[in-house]
Amino acid sequence: MIEISQLSFRYREGADPILKGIDLSIPDGAFVGVTGAAGSGKSTLTYAINGIIPHCYPGDFYGSVRVDGVDTCEASLTDISRLVGSVCQDIDSQMVSSVVEDEVLYGLENFGVPKTEIPARVDEALAAMGIAELRDRSIAELSGGQKQKVAVASVLALKPRVLVLDEPTAELDPASSVAVFDLLKRYSVEHGTTVIVVEQKIALLSEYVDTLVIVDEGEIRFCGTPHEVLEHSDKLLEIGVNCPRSTSLVNRLRARGLVCGPAVCTVEGAVCACEGLLSGKGACA
Amino acid sequence: MKGFLEYVPGESFLHTMNPVAKLAAAFLLVISCFTTSNFILLAVVIALDAVMAVQCKMVPQTIGLAKAVAAFSVILALIALLFTPQGDVLAPLPWGYIGTASVLNAVLIVVRLVACAVPLFLVFYVTKLTDMANALVKVLHVPYKYAFTFMSTVHFIPMFMNDMAGIMEAQMARGVEFDGGLVKKVRLMVPLCVPLLVSSVRKTNSAAIAAEVRGFNLRTRESGFKEYPFSGTDFAAMGIAAALLVVAILLRVLL
Repeated sequence: MIEISQLSFRYREGADPILKGIDLSIPDGAFVGVTGAAGSGKSTLTYAINGIIPHCYPGDFYGSVRVDGVDTCEASLTDISRLVGSVCQDIDSQMVSSVVEDEVLYGLENFGVPKTEIPARVDEALAAMGIAELRDRSIAELSGGQKQKVAVASVLALKPRVLVLDEPTAELDPASSVAVFDLLKRYSVEHGTTVIVVEQKIALLSEYVDTLVIVDEGEIRFCGTPHEVLEHSDKLLEIGVNCPRSTSLVNRLRARGLVCGPAVCTVEGAVCACEGLLSGKGACA
Repeated sequence: MKGFLEYVPGESFLHTMNPVAKLAAAFLLVISCFTTSNFILLAVVIALDAVMAVQCKMVPQTIGLAKAVAAFSVILALIALLFTPQGDVLAPLPWGYIGTASVLNAVLIVVRLVACAVPLFLVFYVTKLTDMANALVKVLHVPYKYAFTFMSTVHFIPMFMNDMAGIMEAQMARGVEFDGGLVKKVRLMVPLCVPLLVSSVRKTNSAAIAAEVRGFNLRTRESGFKEYPFSGTDFAAMGIAAALLVVAILLRVLL
């Protein structure tokens, strides 16, 4: 679905390139998490996928990004946005309307969705994010988390093939963050949508994503299933990425030869490993 | 908390009126206020303002606005009082005099500005900005770009005010004392305009990008999902406002 090859990008005002020789291939329907330390270039990587670079921010762009076979440099931003729905980091300035319903309508109206289809799409998107009751509320009075959900719903309504989200749970409490990821995962599975989500909360990512990408200083350091990536917890720590605590615990036990098997990504996995250790079965001979 | 110029939901007939009719009626009222110098007619407009404020349950806000406008227009009124020597001499000044007509003029300025500010203010509070922009595009064929620019401007005012409040709070937390005289306050606020400007340019930029990735460039007059037909009430409201304007013009011509 998405083919990035040898992508390098330097913002016009920046001295050093923010992305350096990125190669990444994302299959159709994948759920991909991107994480890394602040300033590592993960947001810029999402901009490359949704066409914001090179179309909105000037700079030196090398390599190519293809979304569903479309070269993002050649297609216009509007054409790319028919394929790729984006939720930006700054939720407040993303809102164009004063009321939730109008916000969801905005994209539908612009992309010329038939008017007979629009009400159903609005209902569906609001229901998918679990905010049907906010429909007539003024956006100014919503909490940060509710605004996040509105922003995601207004993009889901467009039924994009690819969904790019930049820190969609930044303003959410842990319970709502899990709820958003639940909704995204379910939506992705039901509609076959490719989802790329940038997120600081690595524990959350490891639990939901198929592929975890770790970006460090503009390069992809690790890319694989959460199990594969979390094997390298020491190296991750060096580049400023904290592993989930459950992973760190089990990795330490593994280092001492107390537990064997792959790295764990979830609390349940850690519990299982510890139970095995305590009952004497998990210990390596 | 409700911010400045932010939509207040409601079910009143002012809320349900056609946005274009609301704007048209408000502008007709404004023009009538500026056409007439007749206190009775201005009193009628103020009475109408009061009825509208009660009708859409915005009395406290309207009184607040009326006070603010009155305070501002007092400055203008003072200038008029001191520099337009007309009518019988009441008090001589080194450069002229204060006359009876000057006093009338001064009072007129205050009453007129208060009378005409309220309808415009109410229009913004009882109309969703999106509805206003979409109706302007659909009914008056205003190009969407202009409607969107207008909408974003009004949309950003409360955001910038929040930002400014945030920056000031951050400064206060670091020991800057904003209480005190107006001059001191302004002097302390001026340097804060730079971070405010930087953050607003950033915000506007990301707003533009966000609109563009949601198909801003594809939008045409036909894109709007909602239709804005005119109803009897709309025509009646515009009729009343137009009638007031006619009376104002007649009074001007005849008297």
